[in-house]
Amino acid sequence: MVIPLVTSLAMSEWNPALDFVISISVSTLVGCFLMTVGRKTRRGEVQVDWKYGYIIAALSWIMLMFLCSIPYLLSGHTGSLLDGCFDVMSGFTTTGLVLTQDLDHISTGLNMWRHMLTFVGGQGMVVLALSFLGKHIGGAYKMYCGEGKDVKLLPNVKNTAQSIWKISMIYLLVGTLALWICGMSIGLSPLPAFFHGLFMFESAWSTGGFAPNTQNIMYYHSFSFEIITIILFVLGSLNFGLHYAIWQGKKKEMVKNIEVQSFFITSFLISAFAVLKLSQTGVYTNAVSSFRRVVYNVLSAHTTTGFGNVYARQFANEWGDFGILLMVIAMLIGGSACSTAGGFKGLRVGIVFKGIVADIKKILSPERNIRVEKYHHIKDYVLDDPTVKASALIIVCYMVLFAITTLLGTFYGYPLADSAFEAASVSGNVGLSIGVTAASMPAVLKIQYILAMYLGRLEFISVFALFGFVIGGVKKLCVKH
Amino acid sequence: MCKALKAMIIAALLSALFMISAGAEEVTDINSLINETEAFNNQSVTVEGEAIGEVLERGEYAWVNISDGTNAIGVWMKAEDAESIGCFGDYKHIGDTIRITGVFSNNCTEHGGDVDIHCASMSIVKTGYSVKNTVSQTKTVYAAALLCLACAMALIYFRSVKKRKDSSNN
Repeated sequence: MVIPLVTSLAMSEWNPALDFVISISVSTLVGCFLMTVGRKTRRGEVQVDWKYGYIIAALSWIMLMFLCSIPYLLSGHTGSLLDGCFDVMSGFTTTGLVLTQDLDHISTGLNMWRHMLTFVGGQGMVVLALSFLGKHIGGAYKMYCGEGKDVKLLPNVKNTAQSIWKISMIYLLVGTLALWICGMSIGLSPLPAFFHGLFMFESAWSTGGFAPNTQNIMYYHSFSFEIITIILFVLGSLNFGLHYAIWQGKKKEMVKNIEVQSFFITSFLISAFAVLKLSQTGVYTNAVSSFRRVVYNVLSAHTTTGFGNVYARQFANEWGDFGILLMVIAMLIGGSACSTAGGFKGLRVGIVFKGIVADIKKILSPERNIRVEKYHHIKDYVLDDPTVKASALIIVCYMVLFAITTLLGTFYGYPLADSAFEAASVSGNVGLSIGVTAASMPAVLKIQYILAMYLGRLEFISVFALFGFVIGGVKKLCVKH
Repeated sequence: MCKALKAMIIAALLSALFMISAGAEEVTDINSLINETEAFNNQSVTVEGEAIGEVLERGEYAWVNISDGTNAIGVWMKAEDAESIGCFGDYKHIGDTIRITGVFSNNCTEHGGDVDIHCASMSIVKTGYSVKNTVSQTKTVYAAALLCLACAMALIYFRSVKKRKDSSNN
């Protein structure tokens, strides 16, 4: 919160500066209390079991959601605490759906805060804490895994977390510079161009989808700006392990990696079908508009970014059921594991697909033949049944979440296609909207969307561990009394 | 007879007034345009909204984004027209309210499928102004009190940590 505070002071925005002083103070008080309570764990005197690692990760997100919504509430741009929490969770989970009102008149400080949330959320809050906290933190690796990240770039988890931040910071410098220059060339003044460049980088790299204006990416009316953001969000949706491998000189990884193959195949197919359908129906008839309005949105959905350069209602009114269904599929698949992206991930789709192919081959080949299937993800792995089962299980969890969220949308009277689109957007942490998400929508639906974003980002296990822990505690209490 | 003549003249004047108001361009809200893109496509429309952000100049023309509270849209206009807008809406300003009459496109071929309005005429309906964001005294007091409390707590915590470290080293 220090960075938005400094931004507010530099821009002479005194009210937002006070909002951040209050938020920092409350967060410090809560932090001191928690550090006192958990001092033994911090010193490594208490062994942190796997379940506690998951629970800490899940609880820290809830705690941070409330603390980080204070500046939103004090700004007066959100209607309620629930709306503030919705936007914070949307930022943390890199979803990008917005309930904040009157975006065109919010302060630079609050805009900085919104985009920092999404940038930090993309790398992971636990990753941030592990990068900058003391030398030894009990159960560090377990908390890191609890946040849905399991790639170890380096043997030490703290060094891995720092490497993730180094990769992101280098891209931050290059990406912001590119967008800043592009912003000035399309007519923005130097200072606003810098802020727009920084905010849009943070949003694109973390596959977030927030933008400083109501019109999102449409505010700029610029093809070049869109091209730069495409490059950034595709890079952001790739596995940190892949970035690290390429930096280590393993360039062939770009071609061999199962996630990259899966991403390019699915995004090509979905884009091709969407372009074909929308040109057939006469919505986008020339190549440039097809690329800018169709391919851009498909890639934005597939990388779970959520930058939209068509209006929400255009999806409903112009894209038709086929177009909406394609977008739902793209949003649910999502980006790569251990990246800033959401969805059930290209790695799992690739593994399950290869598993099905392997099973078919097994049935068709003579019984005496023993086939060993492999897949390549940074290194070669044997494709065994537990791996396929684990991937399929997470995909099933996502589908159940998607179905429940869609069902709730239809319960409140939204059309099936609209409910499914929005449910896929929240479950996959995308951020594209068909018009369901609004400050006026039912509170229960807002809570369900918050839950869906949270479950989708932490990939279920941590949150299930937290639920189990709470239910177990309640049961114990009931037995006692 | 004179009374009847007077009544006829008044009636004629009133009907003329109604005719004038019927002839005025009807303002459409931006959300209606977005919700019914096909119906309004390539039609002349009139919208009214606050100029937001800043002018994005592109040679002789420029983009001005306007928001009427229901939604926002880009307007493609001559750069000289855009220059006449004195104030744009942001945190510190309420922008000029401008009335635009122009052709609405739901898939503008000139601008890569953009949903936009190509401006034919523009007028400033209401001039914008700077917003005075007065700092609330209550907020200042709360901020100062909480900051002092937080600093004190942090100091106590870090001192106790240091003490424990020193004692364990000895």
